[in-house]
Amino acid sequence: MIATVATRFYKLDQPDHVCWDEAHFGKYANFYINRTFFFDVHPPLGKMLIGLFGYLDGYNGSFHFDKPGDKFEDHQYMGMRIGCAVMGALLVPLSFLTVWEMTFSLPASTLSGLLILLDHGMLTLNRFILLDPPMLFFISASVYTMVKFHNQRHRPFSLPWWLWLSSIGVMLSCSVAVKFVGIFVVIFVGFRTIADLWEILGDISRPVTYTVKHFMARALCLIVIPTLLYMGIFYVHLAVLNNSGPGDGFYSSAFQVGLKGNYLHDGSTPREVAYGAILTLKNSVTSGAYLHSHDHLYPEEIGGGQQQITTYAHKDENNQWHIKRHNKMPPSWNSTKPVDFVRHGDLLRLEHFVTGRNLHAHRVLAPITIKQFQVTGYGLDGVGDTNDIWRVEIEDGEQNQVLETMVHRFRLIHYNLGCALTCTKKKLPTWGFEQDEVTCNPNKRDPNAIWNIEENIFPRLPNVSFRSYEKNFFQRFIESHVVLINGNSALKPKEGEATSKPWMWPINLRGQFFSGGKLQVYLLGNPIIWWGNLVFMVFYIILWVSVGVREKRGVVMTPREIMLQNRALSACGWLWLGWLLHYLPFWGMTRVLYFHHYFPALLFSSMMTGILLDYAMESIPLSLPQKMFNSTYISILSGALVILFYSFYLFSPLVYGLVRYADSNSTMHHLHWLSTWEF
Amino acid sequence: MKEPTHRRCVFFNSSLGEKMVDTEVKNRKVNRSKGKNEKNKEIPNPAVDPRDEGDGESTPEALPEELAEETVAKKASPSKSEKKKRSGGKAGAATAGTALSDLPTLAVTCHFNLLPMLLFGVALATRFYALDQPNSIVFDELHYGRYAGLYQKQTFFFDSHPPLGKQLLALAGYLGGFQGDFKFDKIGSSYNASVPVFAMRSVPALTGSLLIPLVYMIMLQLNYSQWTAALAGFLFLFDNALLTQSHYMLMEPILLFFAMSGVLCVLKFRALERSGNAQAHSYSLRWWGWLLSGAIFLTCALCVKYVGVYSYLLGLALVGHDFWEKVLGNLSLSKKQVFGHACARFFAFFMVPLMVYVGVFYIHLSTLVNAGPHDSAMSSAFQASLEGGLSSIVRGQPLEVVHGSQVTLRHAHGSPCWLHSHAANYPVKYADKRGSSHQQQVTCYVAKDINNWWIIKRPNRTDLAVAAPLDRISHGEEVQLVHGITGRNLNSHNVAAPASPTKQEVSCYVDHNVSMPAQDVWRVEITNREEIGDVWHALESMVRLIHVNTSVALAFSGRLLPEWGHNQHEIVGDVMVNQPNTIFNVEEHRYTRNEDEKDRQLELMTTDFIPLEPVVMGFWEKFFELQIRMLFISNENVQNHMYTSSPWEWLVLTRGIAYWVSPESNAQIHLLGNIFVWYSATVALGVYCSLLIFYLLRQRRQCYDIHEEAWNQFRTTGEVLLVGYVFHFLPYFFVDHTLFLHHYLPALAFKLLLNAALVEHLYYLTRLVFAKQFFNWMCILIVLTWMSGILMVFNKFLPLSYGLGPMNASQILDLKLRETWDFIVHKP
Repeated sequence: MIATVATRFYKLDQPDHVCWDEAHFGKYANFYINRTFFFDVHPPLGKMLIGLFGYLDGYNGSFHFDKPGDKFEDHQYMGMRIGCAVMGALLVPLSFLTVWEMTFSLPASTLSGLLILLDHGMLTLNRFILLDPPMLFFISASVYTMVKFHNQRHRPFSLPWWLWLSSIGVMLSCSVAVKFVGIFVVIFVGFRTIADLWEILGDISRPVTYTVKHFMARALCLIVIPTLLYMGIFYVHLAVLNNSGPGDGFYSSAFQVGLKGNYLHDGSTPREVAYGAILTLKNSVTSGAYLHSHDHLYPEEIGGGQQQITTYAHKDENNQWHIKRHNKMPPSWNSTKPVDFVRHGDLLRLEHFVTGRNLHAHRVLAPITIKQFQVTGYGLDGVGDTNDIWRVEIEDGEQNQVLETMVHRFRLIHYNLGCALTCTKKKLPTWGFEQDEVTCNPNKRDPNAIWNIEENIFPRLPNVSFRSYEKNFFQRFIESHVVLINGNSALKPKEGEATSKPWMWPINLRGQFFSGGKLQVYLLGNPIIWWGNLVFMVFYIILWVSVGVREKRGVVMTPREIMLQNRALSACGWLWLGWLLHYLPFWGMTRVLYFHHYFPALLFSSMMTGILLDYAMESIPLSLPQKMFNSTYISILSGALVILFYSFYLFSPLVYGLVRYADSNSTMHHLHWLSTWEF
Repeated sequence: MKEPTHRRCVFFNSSLGEKMVDTEVKNRKVNRSKGKNEKNKEIPNPAVDPRDEGDGESTPEALPEELAEETVAKKASPSKSEKKKRSGGKAGAATAGTALSDLPTLAVTCHFNLLPMLLFGVALATRFYALDQPNSIVFDELHYGRYAGLYQKQTFFFDSHPPLGKQLLALAGYLGGFQGDFKFDKIGSSYNASVPVFAMRSVPALTGSLLIPLVYMIMLQLNYSQWTAALAGFLFLFDNALLTQSHYMLMEPILLFFAMSGVLCVLKFRALERSGNAQAHSYSLRWWGWLLSGAIFLTCALCVKYVGVYSYLLGLALVGHDFWEKVLGNLSLSKKQVFGHACARFFAFFMVPLMVYVGVFYIHLSTLVNAGPHDSAMSSAFQASLEGGLSSIVRGQPLEVVHGSQVTLRHAHGSPCWLHSHAANYPVKYADKRGSSHQQQVTCYVAKDINNWWIIKRPNRTDLAVAAPLDRISHGEEVQLVHGITGRNLNSHNVAAPASPTKQEVSCYVDHNVSMPAQDVWRVEITNREEIGDVWHALESMVRLIHVNTSVALAFSGRLLPEWGHNQHEIVGDVMVNQPNTIFNVEEHRYTRNEDEKDRQLELMTTDFIPLEPVVMGFWEKFFELQIRMLFISNENVQNHMYTSSPWEWLVLTRGIAYWVSPESNAQIHLLGNIFVWYSATVALGVYCSLLIFYLLRQRRQCYDIHEEAWNQFRTTGEVLLVGYVFHFLPYFFVDHTLFLHHYLPALAFKLLLNAALVEHLYYLTRLVFAKQFFNWMCILIVLTWMSGILMVFNKFLPLSYGLGPMNASQILDLKLRETWDFIVHKP
């Protein structure tokens, strides 16, 4: 354990500049310390912890974390690094204890601990300000509490039983709250719980109610408590971040109202929308922009001649639209006629307030998305033709429902073409000032076809403060999740970008640069451990099949063999499942993937290797004569240890920063075992 | 394993009251006594009789009958088979209990065949009705019809699906006299007389019709009664989606036909394995026949569409499971015998499929020998092996690249394009304010062009004409590349590339007198020199050009240049040398003959080849290249298609697909399932799963609610149908493709079978719970009502399946039962 601390903290202050994703997570820590709102695709707990570490250390959030390679200079960054390193260091004792609880074999646990300890990938990943140290910590803690709890099964409903059970719940919700990858460990624990309950159910000597009792206890501790805790974490997140910041635009107008300093925070508008009002329409999707037009025409070659309609992310008077009935002019603002509200299903025209052109669509191909229709500004001072008529359809609206600012999301359906006003989110070329394309989409169910009203200027109606639209916690909680999940799946690799593929990970094909410059840090696993893990995984399958076959064929085995086999197989079966659960789902993911996504799976496979290595050491000598027993055992063990330590020594410069040598005959050159390693 | 206990089990239907519970306990006892080896000898149990395996009469029906006689009600309910006799009178004597017995009499065969024959007849009628209408391209006929045409012309094409289905279509077209002259341009254009529409559409129509007797036999094989089997056929028959899909030149009916035949054969094989004297059947002709035909059919399914692999896996899982349980667990077999069985299965399920698969591709590649529209998806060597096209250009061109070679350099992997330059410089400033070298642009251009020609020279020589002895270029040597038309050298320097600022710019060197020296020497690295050798060969050598001064590699970045670069692809110098985008190969090649630049430019237009041997590519090389391109190169995705749907939506039939719309009226073809069938199948799936969980939990508590035979039948159903469903459905949640409703059809097939199976199981449960005959009649009445409902819905949506017209807008809107169904209304 001392070794852990030593390896983790050695030269922790080097490199003294921002490495790789520290640029992100350091920045997020700033946001927490400065309490400004931001958007990230991961849940908040990990970043909150980093922020907390920084805060405890006296870091004031003043460093900008602009890009990798920036020097920290005199900012207090060590607190955050130490915090992460501590969480990372705890992985080693945790995996030691996990294997101990699974097998009660000292060599197996020690080996597993060593495999985690001596892996450069784990080491590197756990030394920097990243989300991975807390995530790995919580995942392995979940697994540890799970096996610990399993071993309490003989004294159910005792105090330790309850304690361990509820701590599984806590750890699970923490894992999920750091990164959504934590969901896999939840599934893992779920499988284990089902297996446990199945065991209990099969115990005929006890009544069914006993199983129900067990079930209720688990439901309470593994479903109710984690859910509450998870929501609690989000509550803190949303409560801490109450200042307007760079993340505002990702959320809906109603969400932004709650952020101090946001322009919506103090504004006010009439609640209902009436004919004659001046409106701004916002595309009601993640980071949607305002419907916009300006005094420029579409170029001749793409069906030009009429005025451009775009969406534009900034506030501008060209975003303002005047709403009219399709067949008559609205009364002026100082008339005394009764106010005419806009209702679900109404036919209307939208006149661009500055240029006096009507929002118009016709059977001309849209500039970029050529399967859809072009939308233009047409007419003169609000007089146009029947192609300017739109029908407003409030989402889940009822007949005669009055359209309300902010609250309602609606579609605008073109009366003649039956298509929906849509922002395709594709940038127009220079002639369109690189604003986003707006089209009329025949697919009316496109999620991009939904709009809401943000500004509503109509003096005849009383203004209501925006604050009345403010969402309560649950709505904000749900919206944050929708935005998180959309953001996550939107992280697509850019075309031509070299991305990491899941099949490359277990074979340690390509690492990840953490820091360039003079002191290089390169994230790469210890090849001995990684390739060893693969070998032992295959070994496990062979063992499993051969044991199955022998059982089926009724081969008689000695009790010691059976004991060894059962111990190794049952523990490894679960670990193998854990590995699968943390690895396979990445094959189906379309988002951009990185090498470090493999590390949770690596935890499982390393533990499995430890157990299987122990099994091999115990059972290979069994087949040899008695007198060679001890010597074989010791020689295998010491051989394994020597190889592990030597490989660690060999590659350790990768972790602690190697000085870059330009020429190929540097000291590091002989470490290029694979040509794909780029250090 | 189910040693009955004396615990009293509360029966699951709590509303039954005490009396019913008692009844059940009595039933239990009977069953239990049977478990203790046939104490009730009075009535021989047909299910235990090994002769009766595969009996058309299902066992659970017989059982309650005898129980009733013995224990429960005095007014014993008439058995189901009796009722069947009554209700099935019209179908002749098809109800004889021993439908599928071993007796080889003619009479039995006739009995057995009547019901499926009837179904098959109706299937043929529905599938072939108005088969050549509409006489225009419907949906994906656009592709499959075109491919069938290309087969007639023996022209190579590239498609990401395997060829068997298209080959069958092409064969039908060939027999129908199709010459391949029709141009499949867009959905909706009319066929002319040269296209044998009826013949080509009859392939899916026939396979789609055969599906119905197939599912009938599968249900019999799963030990269900023939009425249940007929019900399954009925569900298949009257599902609009299956009908529509079988009516046009589409792959799914063919796929389903092969998959279901394969499953049936595997089930037959299983029946042999599980029969009382499995030993005797081993390696018999029937044994081999079912095993091999199962494997072959399943492979054929795979060869129609790659999703067929899930059917194959299902077959493999079933055979493997039986091997594990019945062969490995059978201690009376010696090690040698077990090994023999393992080998036989390995041969049938690995070697045979491999042979079939390769065979299908052999036919594919040996038929398609002419160059065609998709050539550029393949490597230069592949193209050169096709008649016409590239081969006519490259045939006879020199093999070895020498000093003075004129070449075009093709980006070897991924999207095809050629290294290109033109007389235009990079803009001084880019849109994002970065500066450039303002030297001549170098791009990757997707079309053949005179500007794609480059001349390869040694840095230290100035002459360019090729003279004997040839100065060959080998791996590791340094060269310069001179652009043929502008005469400038390929150059790179430490300036950020236009579209990828992290990479290095590549240009043709122009001396602007700004102390930016030419860095125009490149080192040749041949990546496949183990096979080709060190000397640079045209077509075959895969070459990387490494910039000598900065050691970056010439690379295709995947980004497009803006308008100033004519939207061509960007070429950069990339530090990441080891990646597929840095690999180029020489495609067209000739030797320079003239020293003078003007003459050289003239020469670029002429073709004067030094004759050498033509390129020959073996089958295996072509096969592997095609495999790699099909499986690993992601093909174009249809983005923003209007009729895409997600797997969750398939369960409740949220969206259909518009296949065709008549230009004259609103008559249209819209792929849409029979909503009644789909919903009940989804419900049935839920009910089956809940029952399964319920039974498992109860058995864990040692409570056996249903008879062992019923349970075995229920379990086998799950093993085959539920697992089959999951295999065909679950993977869609993890794929990145654009998904359409017709992707669901294979899973749907299993779901429909499950639905029919569940109906019989529920009927069995009713009989188990309610002694009164009344409830049985109720049950049958409900099923009949349900079936007539299905018929009505089927009939209602028939116009959309066949595209019958003319229809007006209100008729179409009348069919729009769900808001999300987007029918096309373009006429009043």
